Amino acid sequence: MIGLLKCEYRKTRRRYVFITALVITACELVFAFYGKYEGFILENGWMSFLYQLPLINSIFFPVLSIVVASRLCDIEHKGQQLKLLCTMTEKGRLYDAKLLYGLGIVSLCLAVTFGAEIIFGKVMGFGGELPVKLYLIYMLFTAAPTFAVYVFQHTLSMLFKNQAIPFFAGIIGEFAGLFSMFLPQLPALRKAIIWGYYGVLQFVGLYGWTKETRYENAYFEIYDRDWTFFAVLVVLTVVMYLIGRKLFDMKEV
Amino acid sequence: MNEIVRTHGLTKSYDGSPCVSNLNMSVREGRIYGFLGPNGAGKSTTLKMLLGLVRPTGGEITVFGKRLTPKNRIEILRNTGSLIESPSYYGHLTAEENLEIYRTLLGVPKKNIDEVLRIVRLDRQKRKKTSAFSLGMKQRLGLASALLAFPKLLILDEPTNGLDPAGIQEMRELIRSLPKKYGMTVIVSSHLLSEMDQLAEDVGIIANGRMKYQGELSRLHETDRSKTLEEIFLDMTGKDVSL
Repeated sequence: MIGLLKCEYRKTRRRYVFITALVITACELVFAFYGKYEGFILENGWMSFLYQLPLINSIFFPVLSIVVASRLCDIEHKGQQLKLLCTMTEKGRLYDAKLLYGLGIVSLCLAVTFGAEIIFGKVMGFGGELPVKLYLIYMLFTAAPTFAVYVFQHTLSMLFKNQAIPFFAGIIGEFAGLFSMFLPQLPALRKAIIWGYYGVLQFVGLYGWTKETRYENAYFEIYDRDWTFFAVLVVLTVVMYLIGRKLFDMKEV
Repeated sequence: MNEIVRTHGLTKSYDGSPCVSNLNMSVREGRIYGFLGPNGAGKSTTLKMLLGLVRPTGGEITVFGKRLTPKNRIEILRNTGSLIESPSYYGHLTAEENLEIYRTLLGVPKKNIDEVLRIVRLDRQKRKKTSAFSLGMKQRLGLASALLAFPKLLILDEPTNGLDPAGIQEMRELIRSLPKKYGMTVIVSSHLLSEMDQLAEDVGIIANGRMKYQGELSRLHETDRSKTLEEIFLDMTGKDVSL
């Protein structure tokens, strides 16, 4: 597998996959940090992040997954490589190596995002101590849907020559996930699609905010962490991986 | 002489319509086997089945005396090099970088890269991006990839496609030299009758997915002395394979 991962790294030379991924991450951070940090928000900065960031993550991380998976898989389709590579190694191993490599890039971007968010909070002087335990759970609850979405994108990108198919499937999924976060009266919708899990796993809510009083009576509430649906998402990811691997294995190249 | 490849009743159907039907193929060791047939006859599908890229609907394939199965496919293919349809390459990488990827996957020594580039005469262009290569250079790079592990069996699907006459001549001479120089067995497909006539020792003629003739090319010449080789082919395939 190390050899296959080395190959994946070599294949991405001059493809600017890392830079592209980091540019998307930078866009997410600009979006996440934009705003006025004063009064209630500055005082409750850490909670404010835990409340707002899942929404922003649900926009940018699926895009990141679409782009990274597509850039990595497209090189195989463009150069008609699969028919050669599949005579040199097992299809399943090829699927795994590319998936691991792509997940590595996505993980790097996640790490950069989490790190930047904490540094930003410290620099801005957010009130109170960094709630380390809550942030670790937030990282886990962000990484899980991102990995699920990546497995989905990776499978489609490996299966289809035309990268417009995974692109549109990913965009439709992303919009569905995003809108599901604005429809709390339909919890089943967000639980039914992997893109909705950024919202399902969100565990901080804002209450008491009105247009008139703004943050005067506002407060953040921490919900129970939804470990059941976290487990559901993990199982979904494993099932998607197994189905995707099987489908790629069955694909005639 | 040992049989390197043997198929028995090999069949492939797509949506119930057969593409390859009950094909019995026999390739002898150290020979150049020309697999000849008109476009759409089932040549590429057959070669893909030999490489395990396409699953047969029926029949069996034996390579190096072992029955090819999904489990032992990669182990058997370690001794096989291939160039199927158009050459595979990463356009954003140089010829050397392309071969380095295959070398890592095959686990062969680094010196093989320079050696195969020299054989296909791309050693001077090894640091050039392959997207800037001409079709002939890409074909030669494809052949270099196939030769990288110096396999016992080489499967080439229409390797002269898109080449100019000089390129065809060069590729032909290169392929012809392989059995003697490296002890390879070569299966080469083509729809060009003239090509096979100058290259192959044994031929298999396929039309509509069925094997019409298999044996030494010299014996085919003798089947009907009143007819030209082209006419014999036309009779067998019902199509003009010389085009």
